[in-house]
Amino acid sequence: MTAHVELRQISKQYGAVRAVLPTDLDIQKGEFLAILGPSGCGKTTLLRMIGGFVMPSGGTITLEGQDVTRLKPEARPTNMVFQGYGLFPHMTVAQNVGYGLRLARVPDEERKRRVQEALSLVHLGDFGPRSIDQMSGGQRQRVALARALVMQPKVLLLDEPLAALDLKLRKAMQEEFRRIHSATGGTFIFVTHDQEEAMSLANRICVMEGGRIVQSGSPQDIYLRPQSRFISRFIGEANFFRGQRKDGKVTLENGLSFADAGKDAEIDCVVRPENMGIRLNESETLPADFDLQIVSTVEEVVFLGPYTHYKLATQNGERIIVEVRDQGQNRCAHPGAKALIGWRSRDHTVLTE
Amino acid sequence: MKNGRFPYARILPVLPSVLVFTAFFAVPLAYFFIISFWRVRAFQLRPDATLAQYEAVFLDYSGPLIFTLGMALAIGLTTTLIAFAFAFFCRFRAYRFGTALIFVTLLALFGGYLTKIYMWKTILGSAGILNSALLAIGLIDNPITALLYNPVAVVITLVHYTLPLAVLPIYGSLKGIDDIPLEAARDLGASRMRIFADIIVPQCRVGILSAFSLSFIFAAGDYVTPLMVGGPSSSMIGLFIQNQFGTRLNSPLGSAMSFVVIGCCVVIILTVAAALFAVTRRRD
Ligand SMILES: Nc1ncnc2c1ncn2[C@@H]1O[C@H](COP(=O)(O)OP(=O)(O)O)[C@@H](O)[C@H]1O
Ligand SMILES: [Mg+2]
Repeated sequence: MTAHVELRQISKQYGAVRAVLPTDLDIQKGEFLAILGPSGCGKTTLLRMIGGFVMPSGGTITLEGQDVTRLKPEARPTNMVFQGYGLFPHMTVAQNVGYGLRLARVPDEERKRRVQEALSLVHLGDFGPRSIDQMSGGQRQRVALARALVMQPKVLLLDEPLAALDLKLRKAMQEEFRRIHSATGGTFIFVTHDQEEAMSLANRICVMEGGRIVQSGSPQDIYLRPQSRFISRFIGEANFFRGQRKDGKVTLENGLSFADAGKDAEIDCVVRPENMGIRLNESETLPADFDLQIVSTVEEVVFLGPYTHYKLATQNGERIIVEVRDQGQNRCAHPGAKALIGWRSRDHTVLTE
Repeated sequence: MKNGRFPYARILPVLPSVLVFTAFFAVPLAYFFIISFWRVRAFQLRPDATLAQYEAVFLDYSGPLIFTLGMALAIGLTTTLIAFAFAFFCRFRAYRFGTALIFVTLLALFGGYLTKIYMWKTILGSAGILNSALLAIGLIDNPITALLYNPVAVVITLVHYTLPLAVLPIYGSLKGIDDIPLEAARDLGASRMRIFADIIVPQCRVGILSAFSLSFIFAAGDYVTPLMVGGPSSSMIGLFIQNQFGTRLNSPLGSAMSFVVIGCCVVIILTVAAALFAVTRRRD
C-alpha cells in the first residue's frame, strides 16, 4: 500500500541558505504527525512545500498517488491553519468559514449547513454572525481551524497552531485537537517547537535539525530511544555521562563501567531524570536492580509540586538532575550534603552521535 | 465627570484647536451661509431672507456647474484609479522598493502649484517640449495647438497635481492589509482576481474614498488651472465665484454658488461611497 502523502528527496534552498535538505517522508491516512524542531530548522518550509506555498528546489510530492509537486495551493486538496491564523478581518466568523465553499460554488443551503457543522465542531456554534475583532485569541484559533476543516481537506496542515495562546488555553486546545482529529479521522500534519505539545498530540513525531529529519517515530520511541545527543537534549530533560567504549565495555569518566556492545568510540550515556534514584541517608540503600551507583553532592533542591528536582554534581564535575515523585519531604537535604544516586542500566541509552 | 460637572480638564488641551477651527473655519462658513440669503443693492449688502441668489445660480450658472462637477468627477476618478494602481504596485509588486517609491511620491509634493501648471504649459504649448520633439523627429510639420487650452489639459494638470495626495491614503490602507489572509484565501481556492476583489479592495475602501474625495474636492474648487491651461471653453465654477466676490462685488450670489457647489460635492461623494460599498459588499 502506498502512503497517503509521499515526499521524495524534497528540498528547498534560498540562495545560500539550505532550509530543507533532501528529505523522504511517508505519511499514512489518518495520521496525526508532528514535525518538531527548534526555530529555524526548516519546519515551516517543509510544511509550506506540502501546502504548495513554497516551490521545492528538488524532489517530488505525491498525494494519494497523484504528483502535486507543481500544483498551486489554490488547486491542492490540502488546507492550512496559518501561524497567526490569517482570518479575513472584514468578514464575520461565518463568512470566514464559508469563504472557501463559496469559491467552490457550493449551493447556499449546503454551504450554510456545513459552516454551521464546522462551527459546532469547534464549539463556536452561536458565533457565526460575530465579527472577527469581537473574538478572543483562542476563539480566533478555532475559527481558523473551522475554516480549514470545512473544506474537508485530504491533509490538514497546521503551522505552530497553538504558539500564540497562553499555557492554559494551549492545554485546552490540545484536548480539542485530539477530539477533532478522532471525530474527523483526517490526516493532520502540524509543526511545533514545543516538545510537550508534539508528545501529547501526535501519533508520530519527526524531529528536524538543520533542515533534515533526524528521527521519526512514536512519542515513546523518541523519548525513550533518542538517536542523538541533540534529540535527547531537545526532548525532555536528560543527564549526560561522558565515557569511552572499548572492546564491548563502557567506562564513564565518573568511574562507573558496564558492558555495551558496539564499536569503540567516545560515547554519552543518557539517563532521564525520572529514571534515576537518590538516597540521602547513609542508612538507606537504592533498590537492588539499580546496578549503576555513584556518590554525589547536592547543589540545589527544587520543589515542583508533584515531584522534586535534586540538582547534584559528581566528583568529576558532571551536573545531574534527579526527579523524585515525592512532595519535598527531603527538603532537609541541604546543599553540600552527600547523596547516593543510581540507575538501572536498562534505562539508559548509549549515544555515539 | 463626577457630580455631573463639566470635564474642564479634558476639554482644556483641545481648546486651542477648537478655537482656531471655530474662528477660521466655522465662523466664516456660517457668515457666508447667512449672506447667501441676502441681497446687494447699490453695491451695498442688505440683510434679507430670499432664495433669489439660489434661483440665479440654477438659472444662470447650471451650465458651468455641471461642467465643473463633470470635470471634477473625471479628475477624481482618474486620479484615484492611477493612484490605486501605483499604490498597489508599491505594496504588492515592488518588494523592498515600495517604501522608496512612496518617498519619491512625497517629493513630488514639493513642486509648487503654479510651478506645475507652468510645467504643463511648457510641455503641451505650441512651442513646448512635446511639439518640439515631434517636429524634430519629423512626425509633424506644424505644431499641434490643440494640446493646450482645452478641458483635457485641465484634467491632465489636475490629475498630476492631486496624484501624490491620493496615493498616500490608498497606500496607507494597503499597508494595513496583512499578508497571511491573502495566503489563506489562496489556500481556500481563491484566484488572484478573487483575492483582489474579495480580500484586498474591501479592506481599503476608506483609503480609496479618501483619495477620491481629496482629488475631487480639489478639482471642484480650483479656478487657476482652468484659467491658465483650460482656454475659453473650460471655465469652471470657481472662476465665476471668484468673479462674484472680486469684480462683481456680489458676495451673496458668490456665497450661494459656493454652497450649491459644496452641496453637490457632498451628494456626489456620498453617492460614490454608496456605490463603492455596494459593489464590494460581502454577500452571505
Ligand atoms: N522566504 C525565505 N527567504 C530566505 N530564507 C528563508 C525564507 N524562508 C525561510 N528561510 C530560511 O530558511 C530557514 C528555515 O526557515 P523555517 O522553515 O521558517 O524554519 P522554522 O519554521 O523551523 O523556524 C531559516 O534559516 C530561514 O531563515
Ligand atoms: Mg516556523
